[in-house]
Amino acid sequence: MINIQDIRDTARDMLAKGEVRAVIGWRAGSRGMPAEPAVITAPEQADELVWDPTCYHNLALHLVEDRKFLAHARKTSGAPIAIVAKGCDARAVVVLMQENYFKREDVYIIGVSCEGSGVLAEWKLARHLNGAVPTAAAFAGDEFTFATAAGEKRVPARDVMADRCLECRSPFPKEHNVALGEDKTGRDLAAPFAALARFETRSEGERWEFWQRQFERCIRCFACRSVCPMCYCEECVVDSINIAVAPDTTAEEKANRIRWIERSATRSENITYHMTRAMHLAGRCVDCGECERVCPVNIPLRLLNNKMEREARERFGYEPGASIGGPSLVASFRDDDPGDFIR
Amino acid sequence: MTKKRTGVFVCHCGTNIAATVDVSRLAKEMANEETVAFSKDYVYMCSDPGQNSVIEAIKENNLDSVVVTCCSPNLHEKTFRDNATRAGISGFTCEIANIREQCAWVHKDRGEATAKAIKISRSAVRRVARNKSLEPIAVPVTRRVMVIGGGIAGIQSALDIANAGLEVILVEKLATIGGHMLQLSETFPTLDCSQCILSPKMVEVSRHPKIKLMTYSEVQEVTGAVGNFRVKVLQKPTYVDPEACKLCDECTVVCPVVVPNEHDLGLTSRRAIHIPFAQAIPASYTLDESACLGLNPIRCGKCKDVCEAGAINYDMLPKTVIEDVGAIVVATGFDLYPQEKILEYGAGNVEDVLDGLQFERLCSASGATKGHVLRPSDRKEPKDVVFIQCVGSRDPAQHCAYCSKICCMYTAKHARLYKHHVPDGRAYVFYIDIRSGGKGYEEFVQRAMEEDETIYLRGRVSKLYRKDGKVRVLGTDTLTGQNVEIDADMVVLALAMQPSKGTEEIAKVLKIGRDKDGFLAEAHPKLKPVESVTGGIYLCGAAQGPKDIPETVAQASAAAAKVIGLLSSDTLNHTPTVARVRRSHCTGCEMCVTACPYKAIRLENGKAVVNEVLCEGCGSCSATCLRAAIEVRNVTLLQVHEMIEACLNV
Amino acid sequence: MSEQQAYEPKIVAFLCKWCSSAGSDLAGVSRIQYPANATPITVPCSGSVSPMYILSAFNKGADGVLVSGCHIGDCHYMEGNFLARRKIHLVKELLQFIGVEENRFRMSWVSAAEGAKYAEVVKEFVEDLRPLGPQEKLKAQRT
Repeated sequence: MINIQDIRDTARDMLAKGEVRAVIGWRAGSRGMPAEPAVITAPEQADELVWDPTCYHNLALHLVEDRKFLAHARKTSGAPIAIVAKGCDARAVVVLMQENYFKREDVYIIGVSCEGSGVLAEWKLARHLNGAVPTAAAFAGDEFTFATAAGEKRVPARDVMADRCLECRSPFPKEHNVALGEDKTGRDLAAPFAALARFETRSEGERWEFWQRQFERCIRCFACRSVCPMCYCEECVVDSINIAVAPDTTAEEKANRIRWIERSATRSENITYHMTRAMHLAGRCVDCGECERVCPVNIPLRLLNNKMEREARERFGYEPGASIGGPSLVASFRDDDPGDFIR
Repeated sequence: MTKKRTGVFVCHCGTNIAATVDVSRLAKEMANEETVAFSKDYVYMCSDPGQNSVIEAIKENNLDSVVVTCCSPNLHEKTFRDNATRAGISGFTCEIANIREQCAWVHKDRGEATAKAIKISRSAVRRVARNKSLEPIAVPVTRRVMVIGGGIAGIQSALDIANAGLEVILVEKLATIGGHMLQLSETFPTLDCSQCILSPKMVEVSRHPKIKLMTYSEVQEVTGAVGNFRVKVLQKPTYVDPEACKLCDECTVVCPVVVPNEHDLGLTSRRAIHIPFAQAIPASYTLDESACLGLNPIRCGKCKDVCEAGAINYDMLPKTVIEDVGAIVVATGFDLYPQEKILEYGAGNVEDVLDGLQFERLCSASGATKGHVLRPSDRKEPKDVVFIQCVGSRDPAQHCAYCSKICCMYTAKHARLYKHHVPDGRAYVFYIDIRSGGKGYEEFVQRAMEEDETIYLRGRVSKLYRKDGKVRVLGTDTLTGQNVEIDADMVVLALAMQPSKGTEEIAKVLKIGRDKDGFLAEAHPKLKPVESVTGGIYLCGAAQGPKDIPETVAQASAAAAKVIGLLSSDTLNHTPTVARVRRSHCTGCEMCVTACPYKAIRLENGKAVVNEVLCEGCGSCSATCLRAAIEVRNVTLLQVHEMIEACLNV
Repeated sequence: MSEQQAYEPKIVAFLCKWCSSAGSDLAGVSRIQYPANATPITVPCSGSVSPMYILSAFNKGADGVLVSGCHIGDCHYMEGNFLARRKIHLVKELLQFIGVEENRFRMSWVSAAEGAKYAEVVKEFVEDLRPLGPQEKLKAQRT
């Protein structure tokens, strides 16, 4: 079990010595739980850092935001920035480094292993607390403990952990500068891509029925895109509203942006947006689950991205976030890539 | 943006297009397009008056772009682009809409064909509306040439190019040039001594002031593009100084290592230190490192001890030489299909069953038996020799599907040579067909049959095996309908020609294609037989496909002519429809760098930069980029987007 | 003849310039007749076909989309079709996953010598598309 002091000490130490200019981690939320992402810059702030089952956010997003801020302010980064990263988050950082968004030496990864407990899926919690309002959560071996007005409640982790954690095979952050917690790798409670396999037993018509209903609900709020660390593009290719204008953008370019889809949040346009996003995330999505968590209308986006991930792994032997040095999925090929579908 | 003024020229192509597509309606529809300022139809747009009318129209109507709706761009894209240039606008503002091969010629219904022609034309109009006025990129060239392969093809090509005044580097992987032609005894149809006609050329190569000969060398790496290749060549150490070696042969006498002699295809042996054959070029001995006991006086050192000329140097090191050349000719030749694969004919394990090159060595005066045709097993003169054609060729089920072209002729030659050596012997040839299409070839075969009394049996051999000191051959004669059994003293198999060992590797290094049988692929089977698909790299000889010596020499000279044409001026024009980076969108992820088949993109200061000389405009980068930060000029994402809309009448 | 036109599927065909478009030309030279439903867009290489083109074609109302390139190993640009093979596989899987009919999207290798094959590919495609009717799932509903 990770001692929270270790995280705080590491952060305090590095900030005090000036070895990093900031540490991205979690602090207690305004209502106690869930935790919220925090960027601390002073050693004294290290005591605010927490580590509990509500640390489900993918903090790699904040690395991206930090870089964008620096780029727009035309500042150079100076000392590296540190990030407290779970196993899944560390893979996201690897993808960002694979794409040169960061140099390895610019990020100090304080890896934290969930040691197989996974993180909490809040919507699953309600039925276990009989109406009690939790104010704090903590890791306790194979259980989570919740502080409530009615006393401490213990719930088996596997009953309330996020779906993606059930299938997770890499709880330990392989890429790290320092790693806290035990290397309990390869644990899976459910077969990988189990939900995907279940979905694929549906017929073509049933699948369309399903996705039609999902995408009719989409309001194109783009929360999924905003929360995804991989969606760092200045201008989203498929979205004609979000247009990046640089000093060298000509008037002609401004007038001639491609409108791949209409702005209206109709089913056809929504589907095209989501399919494009799934294609662009193929080989890059590490299944941090944030897109699905933040979707205000509960579209099962993980299903879409998992489909691409499984194709990448099973057909092309490609694992997203496995290696900083390797080529990306769509920029490379193997001589024996499947081609039976080609006439 | 100033309003586009596109001219549309609809060709009738006589009745080829007009019979199925309503050309005047097409011209009218195009006139309605927002960017079209001029639209007309004419019976033959590619004719002189047709072309002139295009030029006039451009000038008179201030057109800045042109769409010609006609036949395939393969035919007249260049024609109309040249017209555009003559009229004063960039050739790259002219595009062709193919409404003949891809429309009028393949559909019958006038309504459907016209509707489709309108879509195709509208698509071209919308695309051209965004074409930039590009000009070809001038690339300075290196006026030196590398020829890879020192057989007759490489030798001829090198001589032709060098005689035109260009510097040539001839790279050969063996210790001597000459290739397989050197192993032949006589050549058909003249029965000229092969060595006699080849040696003068070999000597000419060695003496030519413009030819740099690199033997015992192999090409390792090639970078760059047409006009500017950089080649890394590995020169392996021969351990003998060619300037010092006096060819006295004292070293072979003392060398304790005996290995099969490759030049005689294993029929004789040689020592570790050896000369491939007496008249090798360069004239020097070579120490075969893989056979030698150890290159070290402690292990052996005998050859060095007896070398009075002091030519042997165990400390020679491999050298990597870098050469900059403007063009490359690939003449890497052929090998015979391995006998081991022919299970029905003994898989190489039956004694006295030879392949064609081995038989040549028996016939050759400098060969294994000093020119006498003798059985390898007991050195007796064979009285019954069976020649089997099409071994491994014309056999799609088990071996090679193609015909190896030369076997009928050299089998006739072998039969004739055998009969000249052993006049009282009997020569049998099992054949399926006789392919004797060259000058004097048919007559040559007839002489084999009539004058030299070779017995030609039309049928195949089902199997052969050793029996009582002879090779029993079981075949059939389909013209008489009888089975034939011959107890032969010797059997010669006309094995298929296959690309030489190392062809696959050299094709990868040069980034040129190979065809379905592994031979180097020509750019067009009819019209571009000596050009590879990669600019600046030419092919000749058996590396490109089975062929005889006259064809090889013709191709070698043809490749030389192409090279001389390519390098006839100091600069080359490179097509400007290359990739362009939108720096504002590029995040430096390097996916395009990885995807580019030409390694034409690199990262500079965190953004992708395209080497416009290396870029061929394939668009792989553009399709890979997640953020539309790179696209190919004049086939941009926006242009394709509008073409899609045009195709769907949106 | 009925009042309503019989349904004719609209196909957008992305043909690579060096092989498939040349193969299509050969079909023309050989006067092989095939249905007029496929409108060709010639691109430099099958590797230059972005997944966006395919999704956009469906979004703009294509009933079927064809991508055709050089056979593996024969790409004029050496590796383009290897890259295409991977990306197109992903697009195809995604379309099927969403529930778009499998027969609406296909890829073929057509060489410059395969005029007859190109005609066959189009013929088969049209026949397979007819029973599916117009494509409504991804088509933008414009008011």
